[in-house]
Amino acid sequence: MSARNPGTQFDLQWISRVRVNTPAVLRRAQSIQGQKVPRREYQAAWLLRAVTCIDLTTLAGDDTPSNVHRLCMKAIQPVQHELLEPLDMHDKGVTTAAVCVYPSRVADAVKSLRAANSSLPVASVATGFPAGQTPLETRLQEVRMAVADGASEIDIVINRTLALTGQWEALYDEIRQFREACGDAHMKTILATGELGTFAMVYKASLVAMMAGSDFIKTSTGKEAVNATYPVAIVMARAIREYFLATGYKVGFKPAGGIRTARESLVWLILIKEELGDDWLCSHLFRLGASSLLADIERQIYHHVTGQYAAYHDLPMA
Amino acid sequence: MAGNTSKAVPVLFQSMTYEPVATSSTATAQAWLDHHSRSVGLFINGKFVKPLDRQTCSILDSKGGTLCSTFCAVEDDICQCISSAVQGYKAWSDFLCSQRAKVLLRMVSALEQHGQCVSELCELCEATYSSSTLVRLLQYYSSWAQLRDSLIKNWTPVGVVAVVISDDCTLYSLMLKVLPALAMGNSVIAVPGRSTALPVLLLAQLFMGAGLAAGAFSVLTGSDVMLGVKVAQNSDISHVTFSGNKQHAVILCKATAGMGIPVSLSLSVGAVCPIIIFESADIHSAVDGVIEMAFKKKKKEVHLVLYVQESILESVVANLRLRMAGMKCVDLPSEKAKAQADAVVQKAQHQGAMLLQACVAPSSCSQYPPTVLCGMAPSSPCVVTPSPGPLLPLITFRSNAEAVTLGNHSPQGQAASIWTEDLTLALETAKSLSVGLVWVNSHSVYDPCLPVSGHRDSGTCTDGGQEGLYQFLRPSSFSLQRSYPVTLDYTKFGTAPSPPIVPDGALGSLKSYPHYVGGKACKSESGCCAVVQSLDGAGLLAYYPDGGQKDIRNATEAAIKVQPSWMKKSPSARAKSLHSLAKGLETKRQDIAEAINVQTGLSLEEANLEIELSISRLSDWAAYCDKVQGGTPPLLQSGCGLSFPEALGVVGIILPSKPPLLSMVTLLGAAIVTGNAVIMVPSQKYPLPALAFIQVLQSSDLPEGLVNIITGRRDPLTVALANHSVIKAIWYCGSTEGCQYLQYTCTSPLKTLRLFCQKDEDADYRGRDWTNPSVLEEMWRNAVQWKSVWIPTA
Repeated sequence: MSARNPGTQFDLQWISRVRVNTPAVLRRAQSIQGQKVPRREYQAAWLLRAVTCIDLTTLAGDDTPSNVHRLCMKAIQPVQHELLEPLDMHDKGVTTAAVCVYPSRVADAVKSLRAANSSLPVASVATGFPAGQTPLETRLQEVRMAVADGASEIDIVINRTLALTGQWEALYDEIRQFREACGDAHMKTILATGELGTFAMVYKASLVAMMAGSDFIKTSTGKEAVNATYPVAIVMARAIREYFLATGYKVGFKPAGGIRTARESLVWLILIKEELGDDWLCSHLFRLGASSLLADIERQIYHHVTGQYAAYHDLPMA
Repeated sequence: MAGNTSKAVPVLFQSMTYEPVATSSTATAQAWLDHHSRSVGLFINGKFVKPLDRQTCSILDSKGGTLCSTFCAVEDDICQCISSAVQGYKAWSDFLCSQRAKVLLRMVSALEQHGQCVSELCELCEATYSSSTLVRLLQYYSSWAQLRDSLIKNWTPVGVVAVVISDDCTLYSLMLKVLPALAMGNSVIAVPGRSTALPVLLLAQLFMGAGLAAGAFSVLTGSDVMLGVKVAQNSDISHVTFSGNKQHAVILCKATAGMGIPVSLSLSVGAVCPIIIFESADIHSAVDGVIEMAFKKKKKEVHLVLYVQESILESVVANLRLRMAGMKCVDLPSEKAKAQADAVVQKAQHQGAMLLQACVAPSSCSQYPPTVLCGMAPSSPCVVTPSPGPLLPLITFRSNAEAVTLGNHSPQGQAASIWTEDLTLALETAKSLSVGLVWVNSHSVYDPCLPVSGHRDSGTCTDGGQEGLYQFLRPSSFSLQRSYPVTLDYTKFGTAPSPPIVPDGALGSLKSYPHYVGGKACKSESGCCAVVQSLDGAGLLAYYPDGGQKDIRNATEAAIKVQPSWMKKSPSARAKSLHSLAKGLETKRQDIAEAINVQTGLSLEEANLEIELSISRLSDWAAYCDKVQGGTPPLLQSGCGLSFPEALGVVGIILPSKPPLLSMVTLLGAAIVTGNAVIMVPSQKYPLPALAFIQVLQSSDLPEGLVNIITGRRDPLTVALANHSVIKAIWYCGSTEGCQYLQYTCTSPLKTLRLFCQKDEDADYRGRDWTNPSVLEEMWRNAVQWKSVWIPTA
C-alpha cells in the first residue's frame, strides 16, 4: 500500500485550468454501462471483491445500539459461510471494508466489533452531515469527538457554499483543518456532487479535496436528490488520475447513495478498472457506500452456488 | 453449474480480470447458409440464381475455415442481371413515392424480424454491423422516398445504378449508396466486396420480401474488382457509384473512361484523419476518444494522426500511457501486416521516436500492441505512408493556426476529430479543415442526415443528407448521352502541334485580342497566336493567343491566391460583384453583340437577346449568393449538426461553342457564386464573345485572378488543366475523346469532373436549354462540396 496522501499546496492555477466536456463524459459513461458484466465464476469473484469494498452503512434518525450491533455482525460475516465454502473463499477473510454510522453511534459500533474480536474499522460521517451548514468550530469538534470515540475513518462533507461561490482557497483551508482534526483516522471527503451543478465544479472540488489531503473522495451523502452517478464518478476518477500523475499519490474513491443491485456494483468495478486501473480495485482505494446492496450481492452469490434464487428471508439479515 | 469451476474464484478474486469474450452462437446464420447448401447464388430478378459452370469464390470465416462459396458472375450473368434491373427500374420507378416509402419501412420490420441472422452472418464474415444504424438508414431514406416529389421537384431518377464496393469497405458505406438510390426510384445492382457479400445477399432477400419490385435490387458477386468494372461498362447502366479504396477506384475510372456515364467516388478507406487536441480541451475525454478511435475498432478503415498542442503534450502522453496500460494486442490481418508494423516502429525508433506501448509485441502470432509513436513529424515515414496495425503517430503543434495547417497537409480529406472547449476555436477550425466531416469533442459519428463530400482525394460526390440524393437524380429536362470509348493514346492526346499561320497580306490588318490571366489582359506565354476564322471558313477575323500549359499555370497561381479570400467574402459582397459584372455587360453590350454577330452569324437582335438573357442570368446568380446555404441536420443523438456548402477551389471550365455568351456567364456565375475561382477556356471555334467579355471583367470589381480566360486549342489546354493538381474540378464540354481523356487521367489527384460530350460543335451544349432557369440548381450543386460538423451537447 502506498503512502497516505499528505496533500499539496493550494494551487489555484491548476483548478482554473480544469475543463470537462459534458457530452463526452456522458458518452463514456454510456459505453461503460454498455460493457458486458462478468458472468459465472468471474461474477462471483467480482461480487466478493465488491463485498470487501463495501462501507456497510446505516445513517438514520432511528439508529440505536441494537440495529448498529446487527450491522456490525453482518459486516464481519457479510456472506454466509455455507456460500463461501463451495467457492473456496471461506478462509480468505471476506468482510466488508468498514461500517459507517453517525458520530453518536460510533461508540456502539466500536463496542460491538471489539466484543466480536474484530478489527473492522468504524467510519463516521461528520462535519454537519449531510448539509454541512453548521459553524466550522462545531464541525471540527464533531470530527475530534468521533475520532476520540474510536472511529478510524471520518467521512466529512464539504462546505458547498464555499464551492458554489468559488472560494476554493477557503474550502481548501477548511478541509485542511478537518484533516488535522482527523489525525491518524483516514479522511473521506464527500463532495455532494448532486449539489455542485456542473462536472467542471465536481472536478475542481475533487482537486481541492485532494490538495487538502483527503484519503478518499466520495460522491455524495446519500441524502441529496441525485447521488452517485456513473458520469460524476468518471469525472472524479479522472481527477484522481490527474492528481496521481502530478503528485504520485493515489487517492481513493467512494461512490455512495443509491447503489442497490449486484449488477450496479459490477458496473462500478468496471468503471474503476477502466478509468483508474487494477490498483484501485481494493478497499484501500475503493469503497462502495451502501446498505441494501449487500443483500442483493449475497442473493447473486447464492444463485451462483446453488443455482436457485433466494428469497430475502433465506439469507441472514443485516 | 455450482462447484465445477469454483476453484478459480479465489484466483479471479485476486486478479480481477475480465471474462474472456465468449464466441456467441451463430446458429441462425449457419442455418441460413445450410439452407443454401453452403453456396449462395447471385441475386438476380428477385431470387437467388445458381448458374452452372461458374467459378466459385470461397468466403472464409475469421479462423480461416470455409464458410460457404459464392459464384463469380460472368458476362452472361451480368447481362441477365442488367436486363432484369432495367425491367426492375421500370416497375420500381412507377411506384408512387408513398409506396416506395412503405416498402422501405417494411424493410425495417423485415430487419427487426431477422436481425439475429444478419448480425450473426456479419460476425461470421467479420463485417462491421449495427442493426440500429441500418434501421436508421432505412427510416431516413424512407422519409425521402415519401417526399421526393414534393421536396425535390424537376428531378427524376437516373435509371440503373451500379454500386461498386471494394473488399475493405463496410456494410454501412454500401447501404449509404444503395438505399438513397432505391429511395429515389432507381434500380440498383450492388457489387459487394468479399466481407460484405453474404450480408448483402441476405439483405437483398429480406428487402425483396418487403415488397421491392423484382430486379430493383440485384447483387452480383465475383472474385475481384473486375466484376465491378464489367458491370459498369454495360451500356444500360446510367450511373456508377463507388465506395472504398483508391486503387480500385482508379481501375474503375480508367475502365469506364469514355463510356459517357458519370462515376461518383467516395474513398473513405485508407484516408488519413487528423485528431487535433488543443490546450483548451478536456484532455481526459480527448485521450479517451483517441483510444476508442485508434485501438478499439475491430477494423481500421482510416489512418489516424494525433496532433497535440505543445503546452499539453506531457499531460496527454501521461494520460495515454496510463490508459493504455494493460490493453490487449490487436489482431492484424496477416503476418505480413505485422512485419510491416514492426518495421515502421523500428524505423521510427531509429529516428528518435518515443514509444507508448500497451505491452510487448508477441513474437509469434499476427498481433500487435496498441502503440503511440511520440515525437513524429509530418515528414516521418509512418506519417507519410501509413502502415496497417494499431499505430498512432503523435505530432506536436504550437498555435491554433498551425494545427489547421498540419491537419490539412494531407492528400485526403475524409474526416477529422477536434477537441477543445472553446466554441469559437472549434468552429473556426472546423471551417478551415479541408475535410468532409468534422467531429468536435467526439469521434466516429456517422449519420445519413449529415451531407459529407470527401474533400481532395477522398471522393468526388456527396453522400448523406438531401445533398447526397442528387447523385441518384438528374434534372428532368435532360437525358444521359451514352458514348463508346475509342482507342486513344493518352500520352499523345492534345500534343498535336499548332497549325502554322501562313503569312498573308490580310493578316497584318487583323485585330489582335489578348487573353486574361490574373486580372491582366496579356499575350500567351509562348507568344504564339491563332486566328479566328470567319463563319464561312474563308476569311480571317482576328488573332487570339494560343495558350498552353504555362498560361494555365500562371492562371492557376493567380486563382488559388485569390480564391480563399473570395470564398470568405460575405454573400452580399459577392452579390455586389456579380451585379457589377451584369452592369458592365450592359455597358459593353454593343461590342459584345457585334462579336457574337460576327462570330456565330446570329443577327444583332438575336445577339442582343442573348446578352439580355446573360445579364438576367448574372442577376440571378447574384441573388443566389445568399441562398446557397447549409443547414442544421437533426441527428438521433443530442447535439448540434451543421452542414456547409464549400467552394471546390479552382475550377477549370472548357466552354461549349453555343450559346457562347450565355453558357459562359451561366457556368462562370455558378462557380464564383459559391466561392470558386475559375479558369475558362472558350470554344476554339467561337472565342470572340469570350474575348470581348474580358473588357467587362476588367471593368468589374471582381478580385484579380478570380476569373481567367485562356484561349487556345482545346485539347492541349484540357491536358494542361488535367495535369495541374491545384485545379479541383473540371467542367468539360467538348469531344468524346476529351471526356475519355479526362476520365482516364483525372484520378491522381482526383478531380471532380462534369463532362458533357458535344458531338456536334454547332449543337447547343448537349441540347441543354440554357434559357431554362432550372439549370441553375444543378449548376450550383456541381460547384460545391459539403462539409458537416457534429457538436454533441448534453
